[in-house]
Amino acid sequence: MDSSMTAKPNSKNKGQSMDVLRRLFRSKGAVVGLVIITVLLIFAIFADFIAPFGYDDQLLSRRLQAPSSEHLLGTDDYGRDIFSRIVYGSRTSLLIALLSVAFSSVIGVAIGCIAGYYGGRTDNAIMRFIDILLAIPSILLAISISAALDPGVINLVVAVGIGAMPPYARIVRASVMSERDKEYIEAARSIGANDFRVLIKHVLPNVMAPIIVQSTMSISTAIITAASLSFIGLGIAPPTPEWGSMLSAGRAYIRDAWWVVTFPGLAIMSAVFGFNLLGDGLRDALDPKLKN
Amino acid sequence: MSTILEVKNLKKYFRTPKGLLHAVDDISFKAKQGETLGIVGESGCGKSTLGRAIIRLHEPTSGEVIFDGQDITKLSNKEFDKVRPDMQMIFQDPYSSINPRMSVSEIISEPLIIYKRFNNRQGIENEVARLMDTVGLARRFANSYPHELDGGRRQRIGVARALSLNPKFIVCDEPVSALDVSIQAQILNLMQDLQAERNLTYLFITHDLSVVKHISNNILVMYLGNMVEYASSKDIFKTRLHPYTKALLAAVPIPVLGMKKERKLLKGEITSPIEPKPGCRFASRCEYAKEKCSNEQPELIEALEGHFVACHYVKEINNI
Amino acid sequence: MEKLLEIKDLVVHYKTSEFTVEAVNNISLSINRGESVGLVGETGAGKTTTALSIMQLIADPPGKIVNGEIYLDGVDLCKLSQRELIKIRGNKVSMIFQDPMTSLNPVITIGEQIAEVIRLHNKVSRSEAQMRAVDMLNLVGISEERFNDYPHQFSGGMKQRVIIAIALACNPELLIADEPTTALDVTIQAQVLDLMENLKKEFNTSLLMITHDLGVVAEICDKAAIMYAGEIVEYGNLEHIFNKTKHPYTKGLFESIPKFDEEVERLKPIVGLMPDPSNLPDGCSFAPRCPNRTEECTKGEIPAIEVEPGHIVKCINFIA
Repeated sequence: MDSSMTAKPNSKNKGQSMDVLRRLFRSKGAVVGLVIITVLLIFAIFADFIAPFGYDDQLLSRRLQAPSSEHLLGTDDYGRDIFSRIVYGSRTSLLIALLSVAFSSVIGVAIGCIAGYYGGRTDNAIMRFIDILLAIPSILLAISISAALDPGVINLVVAVGIGAMPPYARIVRASVMSERDKEYIEAARSIGANDFRVLIKHVLPNVMAPIIVQSTMSISTAIITAASLSFIGLGIAPPTPEWGSMLSAGRAYIRDAWWVVTFPGLAIMSAVFGFNLLGDGLRDALDPKLKN
Repeated sequence: MSTILEVKNLKKYFRTPKGLLHAVDDISFKAKQGETLGIVGESGCGKSTLGRAIIRLHEPTSGEVIFDGQDITKLSNKEFDKVRPDMQMIFQDPYSSINPRMSVSEIISEPLIIYKRFNNRQGIENEVARLMDTVGLARRFANSYPHELDGGRRQRIGVARALSLNPKFIVCDEPVSALDVSIQAQILNLMQDLQAERNLTYLFITHDLSVVKHISNNILVMYLGNMVEYASSKDIFKTRLHPYTKALLAAVPIPVLGMKKERKLLKGEITSPIEPKPGCRFASRCEYAKEKCSNEQPELIEALEGHFVACHYVKEINNI
Repeated sequence: MEKLLEIKDLVVHYKTSEFTVEAVNNISLSINRGESVGLVGETGAGKTTTALSIMQLIADPPGKIVNGEIYLDGVDLCKLSQRELIKIRGNKVSMIFQDPMTSLNPVITIGEQIAEVIRLHNKVSRSEAQMRAVDMLNLVGISEERFNDYPHQFSGGMKQRVIIAIALACNPELLIADEPTTALDVTIQAQVLDLMENLKKEFNTSLLMITHDLGVVAEICDKAAIMYAGEIVEYGNLEHIFNKTKHPYTKGLFESIPKFDEEVERLKPIVGLMPDPSNLPDGCSFAPRCPNRTEECTKGEIPAIEVEPGHIVKCINFIA
């Protein structure tokens, strides 16, 4: 290649994402969110090193002990260390949340692209199906799906993911529709690009911003849904620690041992809070026009 | 010179909630190789739709488009894929006609990749560099993104993309309207040079009458989907025959002192192109309109040699 | 003649975290009562910023009037409080914006929108304001039956008439029109220009016409100021600007425009591009593109030279 052609290697691709990052780091909320999420990720990845006890180390002599220097957040009714279980629980919760968001975004984006790009009858049929899904409360949908399937991580991911899919389809459809009529799409067709190429190479990169924001936001919803399913016993089977099932198990002792429910509850809350803050920050950073 | 494109009775209708929109209604013309045919008209007259229907970006409703001897409206999509490299398009808006997420070299190389013109990366890169030289775009911009470039450079990208498949015929849809005059002149010169070098045929769509006069050999004036006048550029600017062409040319502000003429203002409302009634579509704004005009659609007739007009009273109005 | 508007040494900057855009650099301009001045330049020359400065509508941040005085009828607008400015805007000075599609409120009838301006600046009853609004509609050639119609029921040209009616409702002494016809078709543009000219005569309103189209200037202005990179590079009456052009940029502009009245084989564009307003060159901003450039052009301030009474050029090598 001519040397002058490489003179300016990918200046803007980098430049543009750097801009987004810079704006992101300027927002305090987003930074707080990122810190929370980083802590949770560290918990999940290094649980074996961070947790002082195993998640199923039962010691009945130490049942329901209040927080102390030995058990930072106290123990539960089997005498298991709550801090350790929360640390291990972040693994399950984050894994389910991330997988279900990946599942719902891939399907939702594909459906939304097809509906938005082709329009007409295809769009009508797809969107009525989405309307039906939306008409059922997503938690109810998740309950019915997970009740029908066996408990387990994959099935929980499917149950949570299907309920979270409709918003993607709607957002992507609307964005695709506004991009579809732009001249650069026509230009791509005039040089012989087929529908698949137009969708993948031209439309999709231009509707990424709302997808990224929606994904971040729906991680927090997925965490709550997964916790709720586990709470009512449809999620992860014990003894695998999961924040929702910890809440559920501790509920009987709420009067005598507040720590058993409070700390898993706080864990869920901070995770949700963190992802929401990051989502808000990302939305502003990706589209600075919206803010002012 | 040989005729490269012949359009016969081309129609393009769009379904709208209010009825059938006659965007392009019965247009016929011939374009010679190496020449420029200017399509002139105001917004909504169907000139952009005409350009898109010819290269099948909009499937024509009826009519024939004979390009290089074959009617391309009859071709299957697959067969048309073989013709498409010969018929390219330059778009109006250099801000929206290129994908903001692609770099300059990605944009210019895309047609080459789709049509598999090269089987290695190196070949594509060399060709992109050559195309950038051709359109006067410095090679250092190869990895730049559109938003870093000004309107003139962006339009050069659009020209390079249209040239990449080595076409014979290019539809130019208002290629300079969004540019400042000094940049506009640069792009117009570039397009004329390319035409001379490669014997290109242009269908030049514009609302700017000074630009069309400058670049066209022949001019077709459209009004609400119809052809109202067709002649060589010289003839139209010297002896405009149709009342609409007269009003259109008289309305152009000329940057020369002492040229200020009595303005001939058009009155009356513009007819709707949706389910139009029979009759001349210009009748409601025409000062010469008589009863016949609103009842009967005027045919395109050869009023003077090589000068076609669609007006019932063209002879009376012009004393010919 | 009496001076109505006088701009002295105006400097306007836009500041972002990374750089400062020098949008208007030290311009001085005056407009007499009843006079029309055309402010001509390409995108980014600082025309609209100048207009917004007169209206005191520069968004701050990021914009700021760094230096200068703007006298209207002897009062420095830069020193007035917001409350005093509100009394002046729409009353003594009105502005017409480029895009008629977005400058009307879509959910209020056009009659009410005109009446609102009247009531804002005059102590009149609702019904009186409406009566005057009807008068304004008649004045701009819209029948009063359309008083209760909403903006979307009007075509582009009709909307621009409504906007003119609003701008003139309080009989302003100065009307600033920012590319009022750029979004319109030529035949509609002719109607709007004709209307503006008649109203101006009738009310003896002064007009600052911002445009990139020298043809529009030739049609309705008395004087013209050519702007380049935030400076007025040439100022004079139309005879000066059009027939005794002195500044190389003005000459370049004229040569870039395809001629309507004569045959030109090839346009002569101005080479290069407008400089980046956040990084202007030393000396004359036009020097890098100028055919008459000499060593001195890139050093120090370029003085404004009065080549003959009323004809000012900012160039040390102006065309003899």
